[in-house]
Amino acid sequence: MDSALIARSVRRCSFGRFALWLAPWLGVLGVGAWALWLCLRYGLYQTNMDNRYVFGLWIFLDLSIIALGAGAFFTGFLLYVMKKRELKAVIGSAVVLGFICYSAAMALLAVDVGQPLRAWFTYWHPNAHSMLTEVTFCITCYLTVLLIEYVPVILKTRKLRQIPAYAVFEWELHKLVPVFALIGTLLSFFHQGSLGGLFGVLRGRPFAFREGFALWPSTFFLFILSAAAVGPSFILLTTWTVEKLTGRRLVKDDVYRLLCKVSGWLLLTYVGAKAVDTMIWINATAPRAGFEAYNFYLQKPFGPGTLMVEVLLLGLLPALLLLRGAKEGGLAMINGAALACAGIVLNRFVMTIQTLALPTLPFDRFLWYVPSWQENAAFGAMLAYGVIVYSFSYRYLILFPQEKELSRHVS
Amino acid sequence: MFPNVSGWSWTPLHVTFVTIFLTVAAVMAGTLLLAAWRAWRDVRRGRAESIRWHSEFEDLPLADRTCRHVLTNEFLHRTCDQGFDCRECATHARWTENHPAAAAVDFEVAGLKYPADRMYHRGHTWVKVEDGGTLLIGPDALSERMFGRIGSLTLPAVGTTLHACAPAWTIRSRGDTFRVLSPVDGEVVEQGGPEQACYLRVRPSEHPPALTHLLRGSEVRPWVLRELERLQLLVSPGLPSLADGGVLAEDLPAMSPDVNWPAVWGQMLLEP
Repeated sequence: MDSALIARSVRRCSFGRFALWLAPWLGVLGVGAWALWLCLRYGLYQTNMDNRYVFGLWIFLDLSIIALGAGAFFTGFLLYVMKKRELKAVIGSAVVLGFICYSAAMALLAVDVGQPLRAWFTYWHPNAHSMLTEVTFCITCYLTVLLIEYVPVILKTRKLRQIPAYAVFEWELHKLVPVFALIGTLLSFFHQGSLGGLFGVLRGRPFAFREGFALWPSTFFLFILSAAAVGPSFILLTTWTVEKLTGRRLVKDDVYRLLCKVSGWLLLTYVGAKAVDTMIWINATAPRAGFEAYNFYLQKPFGPGTLMVEVLLLGLLPALLLLRGAKEGGLAMINGAALACAGIVLNRFVMTIQTLALPTLPFDRFLWYVPSWQENAAFGAMLAYGVIVYSFSYRYLILFPQEKELSRHVS
Repeated sequence: MFPNVSGWSWTPLHVTFVTIFLTVAAVMAGTLLLAAWRAWRDVRRGRAESIRWHSEFEDLPLADRTCRHVLTNEFLHRTCDQGFDCRECATHARWTENHPAAAAVDFEVAGLKYPADRMYHRGHTWVKVEDGGTLLIGPDALSERMFGRIGSLTLPAVGTTLHACAPAWTIRSRGDTFRVLSPVDGEVVEQGGPEQACYLRVRPSEHPPALTHLLRGSEVRPWVLRELERLQLLVSPGLPSLADGGVLAEDLPAMSPDVNWPAVWGQMLLEP
């Protein structure tokens, strides 16, 4: 039915099977769209956030998907700036994943902020003293960069490349992509950092408050490093998952190994930096704020185990597995990447949810928060949106150029 | 955000913030406009088809971009970076100066005849220079067998200017359209067809015509053998073996209807 739109040299399932795969995701997207409409129409009381619990599931997810989406900027940086040519095999997929992550985060933020008719105020009357302003501007610009980087991938489709003007524009735009890769790196660097800095400057929340360098608390640098470390793991994991779901080889082993190596070493560096930062916080920052660090871990369910899991089980262990996977491939590689991604999600959870849950004043209580169905449905919608966009992109665009070479038998 | 907007103040923080933001926005917009302007200029200068070929060429698997001198074992490893236009290649010019190709001989392999009086393009077309200086162009024997009975053929009108590696004619078969690359630069002076001696007669744009990019003499046989191997690899489950002197059927698609022929044709004609 749609074979004329699919590249000749690759195989895809029948349209019926594709539609069957999409159907449940469209259902999830529909329910989520309804929940988002309720939030915009009736306001944020549809969620379980309140004046005390201002960050909930959405901000946690925003931080997580933006960190995972860092694979796009870091892969672009490695390919176009560091000249790691092997990564050409995954750059298309990285751009699409980055676009999905950032556009989903923007959509959730728009609902979270509310007042869509006044959304432009963020840009026209920004608070230049707020890290959130830096985040807003950087994410907006970077989403535009991702959109521009997405264009050549779309223009390479079979039908569009038949039009000479499109083919020429794609060629010329592609030649200038390194400029966008550099801008993307700069923007990503700052907004990942600002997202971390956002928590580090919370003097009223000593669990998150950190000291640092000049304007920036240590969390600014830790967020950048952790996102750069886990981004390649997320690219690796998604590529492997698509391979398993479709039953096709998409990239050569050396690409996997390079991603593993980069991710492993960066994650090891991050774990080292995080350990040093935690020690400084335990021994200096927290006591100076009038708290002994162990007090923060007396509140169940966030015992010291959470910190151990974050740093050791989902930090050090995946770093070592990834480094082993870089040499041997196999399960060490996949397990390492999966644990690394889980680690960054836990880190963002701790920074958002645990920070707000812990009491800071003598009369404060440990604050519980359970997301409403609208919040969960909105999250489901973002997930479904990602799966749908990626599925369409995989089917009709060339996300993995090596696929043609690796599936030479076309009959 | 800007001067005279509520909330603005002339502080270093505001000025720095706006300067950085506007610089980033200007670089993004400028780069995008530069790409659009260059594309417009290329289209106006008639470079669209050449650029499209180079774009497609870059998307070909490395194995399909092998240099002609690797086919003849003159080089061990080399990937072409000129879009199979050896006229632009300094390495090829130096090599052929010192190592002229061996004399051409007619040969036949797997039932495919490759006469010595023709030169061949990697996109499966041949060129024959006539006494008057005009050029005859047609599909090579492998291409004919590969397509078998074609659905329809669209040849360029008399007077059309052809460019080497830009589309010369199109073939429509099994509901899909395939472009066949022109082996030469020139102007179409006569149309032929499948039942005639050639598909096109062309007046070259230069005298003598620049044909150094075409395979000739002893280069043709290893190229054809490699292409047969490539074809077999693409369709192997459905195709009779070519080993040990087998002859390629006249109409391969009719022989093996289950093969995904559009995919095979696309790859063999270097159209990803």
